[in-house]
Amino acid sequence: MTEAPPAVEVLGMTKRFGDLLALDGVSLALAPGSFHAVLGENGAGKSTLVKCIMGYHRPDAGRVLVGGREWAIGNPRQAHRLGFGMVYQHFTLVPSMTVAENLVLGAEDLPAVIRWDEERAKIDAFQRRMPFAIDPARPVATLAAGEKQKLEILKQLFLGRRILILDEPTSVLTPDEADQILKAMRELTEEHRLTVVLITHKFREALGFAREVTVLRAGRRVGGGLVKDLTRDDLARMMIGSASIPDPAARQATASRAIGLEVESLNVLNDKGTVAVRDASLRVHAGEIVGVAGVSGNGQRELVEVLARQREPASGAIRVGGAVYARTRAEMRRHRVFVLTDEPLRNACVRTMSVAENLAFRNFDDRRNTIGGWLVSRRALRAQARALIERYRIRTPGPQARLETLSGGNVQRTVLARELSEDVAVLIAQNPCAGLDFAATAEIRARIMGARNAGAAVLLISEDLDELLELADRIVVMFEGRLVHETSRETADAHTIGHYMASQP
Amino acid sequence: MLARSGAETAAISAAALLGALVLFGAFVALRGLSPLEVYAALFLGAFGTWFSIEQTLTQAAPLMLTGLCTALPARAGLLVIGGEGALVVGGVATVLVGATLAGWPPPLAVALMCMTGALAGGLWIGAAGALRHWRGVNETICTLLLNYIAIAVMNHLVTGPIRDFAQVLKPASWSIGERLMIGELPGTSVHWGLAFGVVACLLTWGLMRHTTFGFAVDILGGNVRAAQMAGLPIGAMVLATCFVGGAAAGLAGTIEIVAVHGFASSSLVVGYGYAGILVAFLARQNPLAVVFVAILLGGISASGGLLQRRFGLPDAATLVLRGLLFVAVLAGNTLYGRFKIFRPPAA
Amino acid sequence: MPPATDLGWWGVVIAVLGGAARVSTPYLFVSLGETLTEKSGRVNLGLEGTLVMGAMSAYAVAYLSGSPWLGVLVAGAAGAAFGLLHGGVSTLPRVNDIAVGIALFLLGTGLAFYLGKPFIEPVAPRLPHVALGAWSASPQIRAALEVNALFVVGAVLAPLLLWGLGHTRWGLVVRTAGDNADAAKALGYSVGAVRTLSTMAGGFLAGVGGSFLSLYYPGTWNEGLSSGQGLMAIALVIFARWNPIHCFWVSLLFGGATALGPALQSVGIASNYYLYGAAPYVLTLILLIASSSPRHALAGAPSELTISK
Repeated sequence: MTEAPPAVEVLGMTKRFGDLLALDGVSLALAPGSFHAVLGENGAGKSTLVKCIMGYHRPDAGRVLVGGREWAIGNPRQAHRLGFGMVYQHFTLVPSMTVAENLVLGAEDLPAVIRWDEERAKIDAFQRRMPFAIDPARPVATLAAGEKQKLEILKQLFLGRRILILDEPTSVLTPDEADQILKAMRELTEEHRLTVVLITHKFREALGFAREVTVLRAGRRVGGGLVKDLTRDDLARMMIGSASIPDPAARQATASRAIGLEVESLNVLNDKGTVAVRDASLRVHAGEIVGVAGVSGNGQRELVEVLARQREPASGAIRVGGAVYARTRAEMRRHRVFVLTDEPLRNACVRTMSVAENLAFRNFDDRRNTIGGWLVSRRALRAQARALIERYRIRTPGPQARLETLSGGNVQRTVLARELSEDVAVLIAQNPCAGLDFAATAEIRARIMGARNAGAAVLLISEDLDELLELADRIVVMFEGRLVHETSRETADAHTIGHYMASQP
Repeated sequence: MLARSGAETAAISAAALLGALVLFGAFVALRGLSPLEVYAALFLGAFGTWFSIEQTLTQAAPLMLTGLCTALPARAGLLVIGGEGALVVGGVATVLVGATLAGWPPPLAVALMCMTGALAGGLWIGAAGALRHWRGVNETICTLLLNYIAIAVMNHLVTGPIRDFAQVLKPASWSIGERLMIGELPGTSVHWGLAFGVVACLLTWGLMRHTTFGFAVDILGGNVRAAQMAGLPIGAMVLATCFVGGAAAGLAGTIEIVAVHGFASSSLVVGYGYAGILVAFLARQNPLAVVFVAILLGGISASGGLLQRRFGLPDAATLVLRGLLFVAVLAGNTLYGRFKIFRPPAA
Repeated sequence: MPPATDLGWWGVVIAVLGGAARVSTPYLFVSLGETLTEKSGRVNLGLEGTLVMGAMSAYAVAYLSGSPWLGVLVAGAAGAAFGLLHGGVSTLPRVNDIAVGIALFLLGTGLAFYLGKPFIEPVAPRLPHVALGAWSASPQIRAALEVNALFVVGAVLAPLLLWGLGHTRWGLVVRTAGDNADAAKALGYSVGAVRTLSTMAGGFLAGVGGSFLSLYYPGTWNEGLSSGQGLMAIALVIFARWNPIHCFWVSLLFGGATALGPALQSVGIASNYYLYGAAPYVLTLILLIASSSPRHALAGAPSELTISK
């Protein structure tokens, strides 16, 4: 790690996907030891840009210069040889392998037969020069999220990569962990041991750690420069442009104090059979949004899965409207319980069924959608679909189009239409805006707030603390399966909540 | 939209059939045979004469029912390949009950035997469904094992406890007696089993296509997590589809007894169950399509004799053609959604 | 020691033990092959067909060439060819590897019956054996302790495979493809190619396992030669938790279970012969049920595996 990274220039990168111009002549200059943030909202072209640089996509136009020379990068391996390394939003570690195995895995010159004593010595020597270290003998499956992200970065450095592209690296970290890792990265760049490109949509990270910034919108570079010359407002204006953002959802006073959803002493096991939710108890009143904060992987997914009947609880009770809730279809209907999850294609839809059918999952067996109660009326389903498509502005070729032909945002709208169009008494929402742009996010938040104002009890589980601070009436923090902290909207403070998320009160 | 997706399925399935025939042609060409003559013989043996059509339809009858055994659970997302075993179990159960009904009026006795066979097959595959849902046991491996177990149990029974020593050619069970056998469809040599098969396919098609149960099963088969979230009774649906599928294959066993053999023996184990898997895949789990695909595959089986007589090809030649067809059908799955002409027009 | 002609119940025990070593060989090869394939993230349910195809091709080649070892090699090659077909078709998007396995199970047996028709009558040379029972005067013991050379190869292969998965580049790459396909892609490996090669290697071993059936025990070629051994070996991998050494021990257990029927028959208990024949299937099913859990994925399974999802 003594050699300095080479200078990199990206010139006029352009990429088209069918009719969509995803990237339009974007250029980027990276001096050795620079820390460059690429800022933009979802769909702005950030990932496309780095995937073109890394050789995952073949750009339609554009060049990459490394050390002053032009290189054609046709695949990631060529990019690796030039010194590019990438850390993804999702971990690319192999969970069943040890830290040491994961470290050596990517080595270009990995011998056919591995001598583990030598490799171990190399790893130990390397880790001594690094700002953080992880026990090489531990299986990755036992690491916490923060440790995994550190290992991802260590892996790139161990493999001798000098130009590190970090793609939203902090989405699975607590604010403190994120700061620690980005600070270490910043130091390495200051020592000119590394060039860092940080892909992010968080102003805080761009302003706090990067020295230069490039802002992308709709595939174009719309601004940028030295961070010290820019303010948060400048960046926001560049990022969002002239698009009008709907007003923040208005919170209205609600009168009822009836308990909508109640969870008592809930214990849940995860897929590996270990405890994921531990003795959790909470109440959500009608006309109230209770937010659950926490770093991803602390049991939120299992909690939602139990409430959505996708997992069986080990013990504990769930009550809705004061009655025991066994999560049958009849109870869901009687108590008007609805669920919005992230990854709707995985959790809530059938991609090979039509939009009309997907919209009918909650009510295909309702009297109004059947003939005689047991024959499905396709005509009624189509009529329902046409109304919902219009009301929720779902962009689809028609009610009969297969769901898989829709874009991600429109799949999300389809689920939203299904889960929010009826009278909602209890709503369970998990990361409802993940992956959506500003306008869609604002719309969904407004609809959730609307449901609350209309008297629904809303349990909002989110990894986005800003979202919780905007929407929730109360916030609880989940850490290692426990609800460790509770605060009302009035007393909520991001810093304190962040500490509880890392369980360092 | 429906017509388009139907056209897509038909086009891709036809392409798979064509691909398999081309491979098979190349295969027989290696033996020095003319592929064109072999194709002609295939067609002649399957559909060329009234006699061969009768043979084809006779072969198709059990294939429709074993096809349902894979197709129905598949709609709920389960890959069940236990048709062979369910057929054997249904056949043996039919004999056990039928042999005690000697004095009964035939229609009543046949109805009772049909119910017995269906119940036995239904419980057999239903058990696999239950193991899947409540124990997490892989249903594919489980049902394949159940095939071997069913055959071993039948071999045990027909060589010992229920052996009819008057049968000298090979070990066989007691007979149900000539009186309880069902005959042929009027004016043909095709037995009544064909009617059973067609009716079963029509009924299950209606169930799957038009009822709320069928709609719920489609959600389950498409995405179990979505079905869970919708609060659907998943265990009951898994059990029901497995039971009905197994019952169809069990009924195929009954038909083999009451319409063909009159007793249980290794003659029940001729691969109808395995061919049924291919029927289900080629029909893309649509019970209505199962009728036609079963006739197509029945034709391939029926033409085996002619291939053997005319070209000296081993009778396994039709197995090779079926295997090639299966691989081609699966490879064809990758083509869905690739062709723009099958997409619905933008509204 | 009791007289050689009348070992009585000891005879059953010795026959089961000897039979275990003998009968287990195909299980061992198929399960090692499937372990390798599944470690890469694919299930090849078609190894039953590969086994039969291997048995037929080995027998045919041994008969035509006079060399049983050439037969073994050709059986392996045939298995690898089937692995290539499985791997290639399964790599296509939207194609389910389990279904392809079923198709190749049917195609493999059909093809073997078709091509093997002329070889049912002729007698091919058999594979040699190692006489571990040479010390004994009892012909029953000597017969029971004749261990085939392929068994020895398989016994060496099991620890070798375990070592290779942990200590070679290929081993790490295969495990990566099986545990996190995105990681393998990020490293620049083609997941489809890694899995196809692993399926080919697994097919090779299964083909070799088939050659044992026709060239040593039972040592003939006919259409009823294998009845589900290939399938049981796949279930066995689940019980062995994808560990090659466990595969070895569980194969022995299965060999013993399969040998039970013939062993009892040898002491005159033939009445329930077919029922004992069901023993290995029932044992497999029981082990499969015991290894499964409704609450969580199969323990130790590579996470990309379709059967563990």
